[in-house]
Amino acid sequence: MSSETTSSEAMSSETCEIEACESKFCQLKAKERIGTINPIFTCQPAGAQFVSIGIKDCIGIVHGGQGCVMFVRLLISQHLKESFELASSSVHEDGAVFGATGRVEQGIDVLLERYPHVRVIPIITTCSTEIIGDDCDGVVNKLEEELLPVKYGDRDVHLLVIKTPSFVGSMVSGYDIAVRDFVKKFARKTEPNGKLNLITGWVNPGDVKELKHLLAEMDIDATVLFEIEDFDSPVMPDGSAVSHGNTTIEDLQDTANALGTIALNRYEGGKAAQFLQKKFKLPTIIGPTPIGIRNTDTFLRNLKEMTGKPIPPSLVKERGIAIDALADLTHMFLADKKVAIYGNPDLVIGLAEFCLDLEMKPVLLLLGDDNSSYGDDPRIKAIQDGVDYPMEIVTNADFWELERRIKDGEIELDLILGHSKGRFVSIDYSIPMVRVGFPTYDRAGMYRHPVVGYGGATWLAEQMANALFTDMEYKKNKEWLLNVW
Amino acid sequence: MPYHEFDCSTCIPERKKHAVVKGPGEDLTSCLPLGYLNTIPGSISERGCAYCGAKHVIGTPMKDVIHISHGPVGCTYDTWQTKRYISDNNNFQLKYTFATDVKEKHVVFGAEGMLKQNILEAFKAFPDIKRMTIYQTCATALIGDDIDAVAAEVKEELPDVDIFVCNSPGFAGPSQSGGHHKINIAWVNNKVGTFEPEITSDFVINYVGEYNIQGDQEVMLDFFKRMGIQVLSTFTGNGTYDGLRSMHRAHLNVLECARSAEYICDELRVRYGIPRMDIDGFGFEPLSISLRKVGRFFGIEDRAIKIIEEETAKWRPQLDWYKERLRGKKVCLWPGGSKLWHWAHVIQEEMGVEVVSVYTKFGHQGDMEKGVSRCGEGALAIDDPNELEGLEALAKLKPDIIFTGKRPGEVAKKVRVPYLNAHAYHNGPWKGYEGWVRFARDIYNGIYSPIHQLSALDISKDEIPTGRGFLTARMLSDSSLSDDIRNSQVLKPYDGKFDPIAGLRAKTYPDFERLARTASAAATAAE
Amino acid sequence: MDDMTKTASPTDGIVVGGLAVPIDAVTHDRLEQMVDYIMKYCLWQFNSRGWDRKKQNAGIIPRTAQLLCGEEIARETPGDRYYWVEAVSLAEAYRERLPWLADMTREEIKTLLQRLHERIDYLTVDGSLNEELTVPHY
Repeated sequence: MSSETTSSEAMSSETCEIEACESKFCQLKAKERIGTINPIFTCQPAGAQFVSIGIKDCIGIVHGGQGCVMFVRLLISQHLKESFELASSSVHEDGAVFGATGRVEQGIDVLLERYPHVRVIPIITTCSTEIIGDDCDGVVNKLEEELLPVKYGDRDVHLLVIKTPSFVGSMVSGYDIAVRDFVKKFARKTEPNGKLNLITGWVNPGDVKELKHLLAEMDIDATVLFEIEDFDSPVMPDGSAVSHGNTTIEDLQDTANALGTIALNRYEGGKAAQFLQKKFKLPTIIGPTPIGIRNTDTFLRNLKEMTGKPIPPSLVKERGIAIDALADLTHMFLADKKVAIYGNPDLVIGLAEFCLDLEMKPVLLLLGDDNSSYGDDPRIKAIQDGVDYPMEIVTNADFWELERRIKDGEIELDLILGHSKGRFVSIDYSIPMVRVGFPTYDRAGMYRHPVVGYGGATWLAEQMANALFTDMEYKKNKEWLLNVW
Repeated sequence: MPYHEFDCSTCIPERKKHAVVKGPGEDLTSCLPLGYLNTIPGSISERGCAYCGAKHVIGTPMKDVIHISHGPVGCTYDTWQTKRYISDNNNFQLKYTFATDVKEKHVVFGAEGMLKQNILEAFKAFPDIKRMTIYQTCATALIGDDIDAVAAEVKEELPDVDIFVCNSPGFAGPSQSGGHHKINIAWVNNKVGTFEPEITSDFVINYVGEYNIQGDQEVMLDFFKRMGIQVLSTFTGNGTYDGLRSMHRAHLNVLECARSAEYICDELRVRYGIPRMDIDGFGFEPLSISLRKVGRFFGIEDRAIKIIEEETAKWRPQLDWYKERLRGKKVCLWPGGSKLWHWAHVIQEEMGVEVVSVYTKFGHQGDMEKGVSRCGEGALAIDDPNELEGLEALAKLKPDIIFTGKRPGEVAKKVRVPYLNAHAYHNGPWKGYEGWVRFARDIYNGIYSPIHQLSALDISKDEIPTGRGFLTARMLSDSSLSDDIRNSQVLKPYDGKFDPIAGLRAKTYPDFERLARTASAAATAAE
Repeated sequence: MDDMTKTASPTDGIVVGGLAVPIDAVTHDRLEQMVDYIMKYCLWQFNSRGWDRKKQNAGIIPRTAQLLCGEEIARETPGDRYYWVEAVSLAEAYRERLPWLADMTREEIKTLLQRLHERIDYLTVDGSLNEELTVPHY
């Protein structure tokens, strides 16, 4: 196997070792069990696949067994209720034994022949093809010398390798690596474009819409990685609609010419921002994930700093509407509610921060992989320093970390925030839950609504309140409270 | 040979032999696509892997088992919560899934030690569960972990547990079907005959190739119980681990999905002399024939006939209500494997629809033999279809509805073809008499959806109809019916419950007197 | 279908795949009806391997002929019993669906079913395009 390719990534394969926590109340620790009971994350190739569907005229080819792509397509389809194109190199027994680079070569040819619009094909590796040590860079070199000029000379076709062995990191790091690799592949310094690079991280179409709204209010022209608003695509009378992302190769090329980069998520896009900073000396701000009022304020401040554009009165008003809505909810309903939050790290941290602002008590945060840098995250440190009640943050976590604590009475929860894979914890222990993150297949239309920005803050708080209200009614637990509000 | 070449696939000429159109006078000696061959890379096929075929399709429906996949976490995550195989023990197998979480250091230095630790942890977390299946994945197959040895070690330390090892890595075969095969053979080799069950009836069967999608198995069990038949095991939906170790004690294997489970029936026949009886649980007539066959085998055909008469009397008027409204509607029957032949003929006979195409994602030529035999002339049969071929076929055939998987269903939605989930069902169960009416109801609701009808309107060009603020499915479906049918006092739409399974679980069954003579004869037969 | 209008004559003898001798149009039509029922309603002819299919065909079709001729069939072993069950189902369906059977002599039935057997063997084994029939294991 090619250990060089894998260990060079940010994720350490060692069990997360985190320095002893100083906080009086908040423990940051790794799951003690070695195994996983009900995983919170899937593996790296899934993250790379989610990135690749955000790019226009791009079909990724996942180099491995067919399940590695079939199930990820299904997962994305469960979440967005849309289908996206992703191919497999379909490695079978012979490939596993004798090497399967020939399968990638053939796969790329077949894709290009049958999809004339395709301009970029990322080769996304998996555990099997990393272990057998297929030289995918060699494949790219070979195809760039032979197949592309000879057979597709009239087309502008780009190949790249995204190394995402499944036994390293998680879907989160896979996403991070893929964004970086796409940017690295295409970014070219030409003329300054006066635009801002906005790297959103793993978000929903609704989030992109909300972020673009904020940019528009600020009168900022930005290259958004990635343009996935149209993941929420229509059924057209002529049957012509196809779901795909809209970030173009030209957009990616132009990232080198921006006036600066803001990556909203440290763990999903941070690597790409760092690359642009290092290679093209772009001013760069990583974070915060603009969940909640305070983080959105900071985001706007960062936009202002980077572009020199003022924050307009319209956003003051918009913020005021959100504050008005939140004020209706916090003291009366949300205060002191104990909440567990799991999912992608930036999302979990952002939600926890927002919950704290709402007077709620996040008591358990679950991060589903063993990224050793979580302990260095200033946001996590701030939470540890700031909370005045018992709280745990568990890394390399699975859903059993949540369920066992509930089952054994170690924690009592009023609310769970997280994605659909944890639904049975909520169901079996009768704890109301707000679906947030990826995937949210067991609630309708969640992808359409933002969790970022002032709009997202309002939506989230109201979702949480409504979940609590419904629960009060089902359990006949002070359900009369809502008679007057 | 009436091969069909797709325009989108002329550049991959080997695809030509994977699709046929059944013409007049064609039979299986002239009309059969190739099947179960290696997938063409980059074709955007819909196939899964052999790991999922073993773990997700066949292994996991076993309900009282810790299902642990030895590999990185993704295989486990991805094959968790994408199916609707329920169980009567609070869905343990749906709720809990286990991954050993192999990381880079294990790949480098070996993962057997951590596997053992994993097994012990899992049993500790669930002290009431004493059975486990370990599934190999691509990663652990390639690093060469000896899972069997680790399992044997644990069994020695924990004498009250039993562990089954399934070595079916994702790359083992052209599709998930490779995994079906591997787990069948592994089970019969390693587990059948290792448990002695209590025999409580003179008539004992294994119900094989049935996965309890939305309660299908429980519907069929209801029939068997009403006939006084002991269902020793179900392979595997709602089935128990020890029940399945007892398969050797049944008198008859009743086989539903031959695609995924014929191997074990064939082996049980060879090794234990237990006959294999293929049945169809879908459709009034095929189901009735099937129940009678099972009854006849045990000399209790009268009990089957009683059930058939009761059920048919109750549900026929409802089935026919839909048949009158579905007549001539064009269907693309695009499931994974067995449903293409389970449904191809009977939906035409009993619901009046026309099957214009069948396909199979992972089936073999044997499945296509059944499928091609059972559909009518002109039907397009496709093996291992891919995205573009599917779209081309939809454009050409213009079906009124398509029965397929969730994700391909989203593709169909975009070209304005309503879909039903052929794997997980829309509102199942679809087996049994009531289930078959539910299927018809779901088809009807799909085809006559007012929203679907609205999707055709281009408000920028077309005349926008005014005058009514709504349409009902009934208005759409009944406009061309004769008065006799529209106003029939006999026919009526489905009036069953949202969940017909809860009632079955609460049901009690008559105690049939056991016949000493039959008991001894049956026991002899089973020896 | 009104079969009585057709008359068999040596001149319209046809050869159908798998049949040793030419057959007349009426027989051909009747065979097709019998084959069609098996193909649409039965599954036993499609076991996965060629040798199994031959066994199944030989186990069920001749027994069906015996039943149609009113003969008793032994069902001592589970295997025999199974073949008998399938044969009864088939014979009942034929009696119900193929009224012309009632007018045939036992000899004619035996001959016809022998041809059916040959035809099914041909369709499912000897003339089959299924490349997996010769795989040595299940």
